[in-house]
Amino acid sequence: MATNPMHQFNVYRIGPQIKIDQIDISFTNASLFMIISCISILLIFNLGTSKKNIIPSKIQLLTELSYTFISKMINDTAGSKGKPYFGFVFSLFMFVLFCNMLGMLPYAFTVTSHIIVTFVLAAFIFIGVTVIGFIKHGFGYLKLFVPSGVPIVLLPLIVVIEIISYLSRPISLSVRLFANMMAGHTMMKVFGGFVISLGIVGGWLPLSFSVALTGLEILVAFLQAYVFAILTCIYLNDALNLHH
Amino acid sequence: MADNKFKTRLEIAKKRISKRATKNTNNQSSLLGIAFKMSTELVAAVLVGTIIGFIFDNWFGTKPWLILTFFFVGVIAGVLNVIRTAKNMQK
Repeated sequence: MATNPMHQFNVYRIGPQIKIDQIDISFTNASLFMIISCISILLIFNLGTSKKNIIPSKIQLLTELSYTFISKMINDTAGSKGKPYFGFVFSLFMFVLFCNMLGMLPYAFTVTSHIIVTFVLAAFIFIGVTVIGFIKHGFGYLKLFVPSGVPIVLLPLIVVIEIISYLSRPISLSVRLFANMMAGHTMMKVFGGFVISLGIVGGWLPLSFSVALTGLEILVAFLQAYVFAILTCIYLNDALNLHH
Repeated sequence: MADNKFKTRLEIAKKRISKRATKNTNNQSSLLGIAFKMSTELVAAVLVGTIIGFIFDNWFGTKPWLILTFFFVGVIAGVLNVIRTAKNMQK
């Protein structure tokens, strides 16, 4: 039923079932909302950059502000060497932000509340950053796992610890985004259910909670997209400017 | 005269902006984000350590021992991660 707080996370098929061997690649509501967010990003940014006025319109201001926001973020964390990766970080931030924000609309599906989506994003970043590190530094990139000034006796243990800490990056990145989105949306649904079941007499308190939670959720949606992007920049910085 | 008046107005506006900027840096919401970031950092490393231990145990057939050692190595890595993020924030 609709009162089940986990019901909103159901993935269901839209249209016919498409199968390649054993793999089900049918079009689902998750794919629909990913496409909606991509199209809305394209629309907004095409509109914002179509007329280049000196005094910007509101939509032009929005695009210019988001450009400077990300470019400043890359400059602060990864330095001037991070400039070539602007396009990647920008599209990543915008995709996560729009998925989170579209999930705030009533009856919408939150794509980022599924761990497989966030994990694929994080794994893509992780593999990309590792490849960039090996291209830039060759096998010298492995020095990342050997901190300087460690006694030789402790070295094997330290290397194992460093490798585990490096491998934990995509997990912490994906779990953080997924857990935040899922916990917030479940909580909103639970309080919404209280409003219905307590009726007109007792429903006002959970209703006010629901309103406050909606505000908090919008903030979390932005904050998590920001954290996702800034951590990508930090990992890029580790790969580009090796210092140990 | 008019120039003088403009200058005082500019000063007032600048002061107001700087006050707003200092207020934004220590808001409560980002503290929640920091707390959540730290906790996932710790949990993820423990998880990765345990998974590696589990896989190695299956490879070498040393059932309970490698998962135990890698669990504790993962805990150490997690604490190290938390310390590192805390150090990064203090910069």
